[in-house]
Amino acid sequence: MDYILNVTGYILEGSLITFKLYLATAVFAVLLGIFGALGKISNIKFINKVLEIYTWVFRGTPLLLQLFFAYYGLPIIGITLQPFTAATLTFIVNYGAYFTEIFRAGIESIDKGQYEAAQVLGMNYRQTMVRIILPQTIKRVLPPTSNEAINLVKDSALVAAIGLGDLLRAAKVVVTRDFTITPFIIAAIMYLLISSVIVTVFRQLEKKYSVYE
Amino acid sequence: MKMIEANKLFKKFADLQVLRDVTFAVEQGEVISVIGPSGSGKSTLLRCLIGLEKINDGKIIIEGLDAVKTGKKAYRKMGMVFQGFNLFPHKTVLENLMVAPMLVNKNNKNELRKKSEKLLSKVGLIDKKDVYPSKLSGGQKQRVAIARALAMEPDIMLFDEPTSSLDPELVGEVLAVIKKLAEEKITMMVVTHEMGFAREVSDRVFFMDEGKILTDSTPDEIFLNPEEERIKLFLNKIL
Repeated sequence: MDYILNVTGYILEGSLITFKLYLATAVFAVLLGIFGALGKISNIKFINKVLEIYTWVFRGTPLLLQLFFAYYGLPIIGITLQPFTAATLTFIVNYGAYFTEIFRAGIESIDKGQYEAAQVLGMNYRQTMVRIILPQTIKRVLPPTSNEAINLVKDSALVAAIGLGDLLRAAKVVVTRDFTITPFIIAAIMYLLISSVIVTVFRQLEKKYSVYE
Repeated sequence: MKMIEANKLFKKFADLQVLRDVTFAVEQGEVISVIGPSGSGKSTLLRCLIGLEKINDGKIIIEGLDAVKTGKKAYRKMGMVFQGFNLFPHKTVLENLMVAPMLVNKNNKNELRKKSEKLLSKVGLIDKKDVYPSKLSGGQKQRVAIARALAMEPDIMLFDEPTSSLDPELVGEVLAVIKKLAEEKITMMVVTHEMGFAREVSDRVFFMDEGKILTDSTPDEIFLNPEEERIKLFLNKIL
């Protein structure tokens, strides 16, 4: 029992990195996604094109490759990042690309009549987006966003590949040291717990936003 | 005073000429019904007046202001009611009325609430003020939409087939509200297929066909002895 507590404590320490990475990515990737989506639906051709390339590249190549690129690749051209910085930036930009597409599709699914109603009532573009379109978009993008939120928990384990001591890596260290399978089981349980919390949070959000159904 | 002056309006969608040389004027307090076969440009005409579509040529003067040049200030003198209601589904009935005046006119919230509740009473829906639009019938939705437009205190109301997507038994309640507005001498243009309503309420009836106003006449003239063959055909089909 003591052994399990010990190992759990050690793995929990590793999970700190996972949590930090998760939080930073969740907040900034969502923000990036909102602005990316607004840019994609804008009439500015140049921005459309840039964002098109952005989502194409970051959704079309492996996250692990992007991670390697940021950590091992960039130093070659003189940009050296700390492992955690490299990981966080990569995750934000990668997930931002997915959120851009999810939010764009969400915004575009809102009926044209909503824009027209807002326009004839005298609202400007910002008021229309903030008060009318985006609140309705939130409800529609909750399910796909929930998927991404769970993916992010699992993808965070990739940072072990650039030497960050996250939850999974902490478990693996103990497995190698003690030659026992227990740490992996503990790690699996932790991932399940985190995912369950996220699923619950999103279920509550969906409930909250279903009042106007 | 002339509320709306349209001068030689032309509008084209791709290769389709939807409005061709439309000219008319609407006086203060007049109720105009716009009738005609589908595809004749009725809805497009209203949408051009309020700036939802850009005209290709011509001039729109709203209460003396060149609408295209002036923009918002001219368009805001008009309110519009759509065939598909276009209520904001994530806002309650009362919020639907309040959101625009609050953002656009920066009205005092308490006064605005009172005013909005008064408008809801006027359309007979004060008991629904805290429900979401999804809980309303089509007729109720359209009455809310009318109240929402009125909340911005427009001088002119444009109705784009306000009863066309309603079940027949719900048409009456919406027409009754519009009729009430007509009696209050709000300037209105109503695109409609309700001939009884057009005949009873309007001061003038525009018959549109192929992007033109074919006739601009009193209800009696057009319904009792239509001169144009085209109108006779249309009325026979619809009545």
